[in-house]
Amino acid sequence: MYKLVPITTALVLALAAAQPALAQGHGNGKGGDKHEGGGHQDRGNGGGNGHQDRGDQGRGNGHENRGQGNGQDRRADRADVRALEVVRVDPRHMDREVRREVERQVFQTRDGRPVVYFQRERDRGLIAGCPPGLAKKNNGCLPPGQARQIARAVEADRYDWLWRTRDDAYNYRYDSGYLYRVDRQGSLLGWLPVLGGALSPGSAWPSQFAYQPAPEYYSSYFGLPSNQQYRYADGALYGVDPQTQMISQVAALLTGQNLSVGQALPSGYDVYNVPYAYRDQYADNANAMYRYNDGYVYQADPKTQLITAVIQLLT
Amino acid sequence: MRTMMRWALAPVCVLALAGCGEQKAGEANAAAPSNRTITATLKDDRSFGTLERVLDNAALGDVLAGKGPYTVFAPSDAAFTASAGDLGDEAMKAQGAAMLRAHIVPGALTRADILSAINRGGSGTAEMRTMANSLLTFSKEGDAIIVTGDNGARAKLTGDESVASNGVVQPVDALLVKPAAAAPAA
Repeated sequence: MYKLVPITTALVLALAAAQPALAQGHGNGKGGDKHEGGGHQDRGNGGGNGHQDRGDQGRGNGHENRGQGNGQDRRADRADVRALEVVRVDPRHMDREVRREVERQVFQTRDGRPVVYFQRERDRGLIAGCPPGLAKKNNGCLPPGQARQIARAVEADRYDWLWRTRDDAYNYRYDSGYLYRVDRQGSLLGWLPVLGGALSPGSAWPSQFAYQPAPEYYSSYFGLPSNQQYRYADGALYGVDPQTQMISQVAALLTGQNLSVGQALPSGYDVYNVPYAYRDQYADNANAMYRYNDGYVYQADPKTQLITAVIQLLT
Repeated sequence: MRTMMRWALAPVCVLALAGCGEQKAGEANAAAPSNRTITATLKDDRSFGTLERVLDNAALGDVLAGKGPYTVFAPSDAAFTASAGDLGDEAMKAQGAAMLRAHIVPGALTRADILSAINRGGSGTAEMRTMANSLLTFSKEGDAIIVTGDNGARAKLTGDESVASNGVVQPVDALLVKPAAAAPAA
């Protein structure tokens, strides 16, 4: 069943000197990001100060150890964890993955489980440069010596409107599984694999592309098979075969919006959208409004729009 | 089109002694959903043949058959104009997926919910964020609900909504992304 965490409860838990429940983790370490987007500023550039880890050891399990040790490290005024967030092959050392540790604030449910959700990457996880095997030209990434790609790029420009967002100052080109962002002068700014392209069932996960390992909550909520890894990237949750690294399914679409207790509901949540099965429990009233997003129901104050609780929807 | 809400709301109104006129968002408008998923609902409706083809081509049929919930603003066949290209073509999987994401929002949105939000806000509009990280803006034009996409694409909610087991299908008469808003000259 659901678990409700009023903000007062969350604060009490955060202020408690020692809460073993926080360290239980269940692999669900991600919560409200204390610095919104701050841990993601250099994403896409292969940067970050995370430690390096070899091979597939622990791949996709970054959250499993997340909560452990927090009882010692946690500061008194908030619940923090050191979380593994990004996994990527280091292009300088192709046999290595780069994992970045970020500090996250965690809000808890009454049974001590952290509330976890994904965060849409700033800049969509854009990777600088060109994909392996393609050379950077003024107008994009081209196989060396193959100008015919230019003609293809022109055709690809036609669908720029599908990826352009409000006030977007860039142009987009899609070709062979990858989306390229270029400025208005035509210079390449970066690339990323996209849903339906390189991120499709049957394709191998692009080794340079970052993802956020999915915590157990999402597997439970969406009822996903346990024999797959689940990875969040650019607004979608993917099932990946842990042995072959092949994408087995697109498991869910997610907004990746970072909603935390204490912050105001962002734009785009005006309409009541709680799942039908929970409408009796979470109906808008004079004291509380409820909005669904990415597997959780958020309770907010109708007057201030501040989020006061995060509700899990496990049945 | 099948009208789940039309027949389902009638017994609700009869049984609810308080009457449907007093409902607030998220209260009595929660009619019993169908036992069909969004994907099955779209397949059953002949007016969404193109959308179904795009959905299958982009391999997102399983997502809309999964738990969700999602609300899909479903363009009719006529909404796929020539300028949008053939988004159901084998070579257009990524483009089709991008288009679909701009038509899907999290959660279950009934028209009563949308109208309630429009009326509640002082601006006469209400916004929802899509799975493409864009915003849809809802407004009223007479009795119709208009939805406007980020790049100015404009559609009307048409026909009847279908409340599926994992969300809602809201038919629209145009795409919510506008092909005419192509890239500015480089």
